[in-house]
Amino acid sequence: MTVAAGIGYALLALGPSLSLFVSVISRKPFLILTLLSSTLVWLVSLIVLSGLWRPFLPLKANVVWPYALLVLSSVCFQEALRFLFWKLYMRLEDVLDSFADRISRPRLFLTDKLQIALAGGLGHGVAHAVFFCLSLLTPAFGPATFYVDRCSKVPFFLISAIIALAFVTIHTFSMVIAFEGYAKGNRVDQVIVPVIHLSAGMLTLVNFASEGCMIGVPLLYLVASLTLLHCGKMVWQRLIESRNQSGSTLR
Amino acid sequence: MESSSILDSLGVEIIGVMAPVSICMFLVVLLTYSLSVTSDPQIRTAANLIYVENPSDSATVKLEGSLENAIVFVVVVAAVTFVIVLLFYYNFTNFLKHYMRFSAFFVLGTMGGAIFLSIIQHFSIPVDSITCFVLLFNFTVLGTLSVFSEGMPIVVRQCYMVVMGIVVAAWFTKLPEWTTWFILVALALYDLVAVLAPGGPLKLLVELASTRDEELPAMVYEARPTVSRGRNGGGGSSLRVLVGGGGGGGGGVSDSGSVELQAVGNHNANLDYNAVAVMDRDSVDGVVRSPLAGNPRETHSASPAFSEHSRELGSIVNRESVAEEEMSPLVELMGWGDNREEPRGLVEESDDIDRGIKLGLGDFIFYSVLVGRAAMYDLMTVYACYLAIISGLGCTLILLSVYNKALPALPISIMLGVVFYFLTRLLMEPFVVGMTTNLMMF
Repeated sequence: MTVAAGIGYALLALGPSLSLFVSVISRKPFLILTLLSSTLVWLVSLIVLSGLWRPFLPLKANVVWPYALLVLSSVCFQEALRFLFWKLYMRLEDVLDSFADRISRPRLFLTDKLQIALAGGLGHGVAHAVFFCLSLLTPAFGPATFYVDRCSKVPFFLISAIIALAFVTIHTFSMVIAFEGYAKGNRVDQVIVPVIHLSAGMLTLVNFASEGCMIGVPLLYLVASLTLLHCGKMVWQRLIESRNQSGSTLR
Repeated sequence: MESSSILDSLGVEIIGVMAPVSICMFLVVLLTYSLSVTSDPQIRTAANLIYVENPSDSATVKLEGSLENAIVFVVVVAAVTFVIVLLFYYNFTNFLKHYMRFSAFFVLGTMGGAIFLSIIQHFSIPVDSITCFVLLFNFTVLGTLSVFSEGMPIVVRQCYMVVMGIVVAAWFTKLPEWTTWFILVALALYDLVAVLAPGGPLKLLVELASTRDEELPAMVYEARPTVSRGRNGGGGSSLRVLVGGGGGGGGGVSDSGSVELQAVGNHNANLDYNAVAVMDRDSVDGVVRSPLAGNPRETHSASPAFSEHSRELGSIVNRESVAEEEMSPLVELMGWGDNREEPRGLVEESDDIDRGIKLGLGDFIFYSVLVGRAAMYDLMTVYACYLAIISGLGCTLILLSVYNKALPALPISIMLGVVFYFLTRLLMEPFVVGMTTNLMMF
């Protein structure tokens, strides 16, 4: 039974990403490679951040501002890293295009670019879920569960899986938004991504208050669904645009 | 063909190597997780001849002892490799084959059998001894046959290579902690020397095999496609062209006009040839003979006739003895022509699809040992090590396509894995645990 619970928590956090992986990513080897490298980038960023913050740990359990500072610095660092990731991707895209010319195949389609962005975002999201939720899940397979004081209604593993799911969604689709924003030079999309990330991070600070998770988690899900909505709208518009432009069928 | 984007086929061969490695590591982690309590802690192998680690020993004693263990282990491995090179040099190939057959049987039968027994005990699976024996015997015999005879489908062979990797790696994870780390690092260094240094045993072995037109007498995983990829031949071999274009700079681009023309013309012819190859396979009733595999060899050695050897080229994987923990940790990609900038280079690669990338069984084993050792600490270190190893493997494969010669697959991956393990354990774990228990995330 506890094994079932553990698997359930894991699937709660990673189930949607798993189905995305199976249905979209795993079909194309290149997307798998993109996903792996973006996961690695996120892991490296986490290691660097933890290295920076290591001297100050453990933080005091009852003061909130060091945590706020920590989240702020982490988000800034990761957003900077996202920009670097984008630069890297631009070079990759050039290489891919020239390669496609050389073997006389069509260049990257719009959907290809979107899929690469999706794979990159999914890598970030999966890394988040893996390191913040899945890696702490080992005790959940044992014969007990665990509650934290500040959120005494819900088991710790369940609440962390739920939060991780929200962050997976945010990371995955904000990467698509960011890539499109950079590619089109759209100022709004460029700015909205760090704002989403920062507000999501700050919303987890609500959990710091006693029973704050009852309010913080729904707000987090509001942000996640807004991200999803924005991303869907933007992708839809882009697809319509490019169909009108080229007149040819898109895959 | 027109509507398919290059994304569909790009990187197929990298995934073809990474997937089995991932499966191997995953299963080893599962094994260590479920069996670590029941298995007895101490085993004696070549890896801890000198010093038997005791958890209560002081750090310096452990350090010295593990260092000695590692040195002895590497010396033993090097000695056995030299013996194999000698045997191969004096044409004792059949002896090597038979010996390795025996050792495969031995590994699957005894070490695999022990692991199966402990699985049966741990999950209390109701099975009587006679059934168990018959099943194990069949499994072992099929394994021994599959890795050697030509009649087996390549899938079976690949599966058994992964199984052997898992068995040996699961055995190695029983080594004590310090010894494991030292042995991993020492092997990575040894691998670097043995494959790259002039006179290194593995380099000798590879050169000997390629000048003599024989299959490498080593246990290697061949990432050959299970189905001949006639449909997307151009993309399948694209890695090198891609990297050549990216790393090599302008050289390849300047004469692109002629390259394209010629490449496309020959490419179509090549597709037909691939189709013929498929039919040929079917007609020999499952015998995987690869007519294409002989082709690059012809360009290398200029031997016109297909000898017995070249007929068997793709299908026989010779092997080293795992019983002596003797691996061949190298990635090898044979037959890639040296003419990168010439137009015909592209075509030759298309020919070479069926050869695929080869990865030594030792790489499987020691990657999995690292991950299995990480699994004994925490899941977080497992993920970090897995990512590090896979990215190291990716780097090695990219280097392979740049340098075009046999490269050691252990050094980059193992170093990255070890570094990430300790970084995760020392830096990241307190950070992440501190964040998460307060339900802070970002």
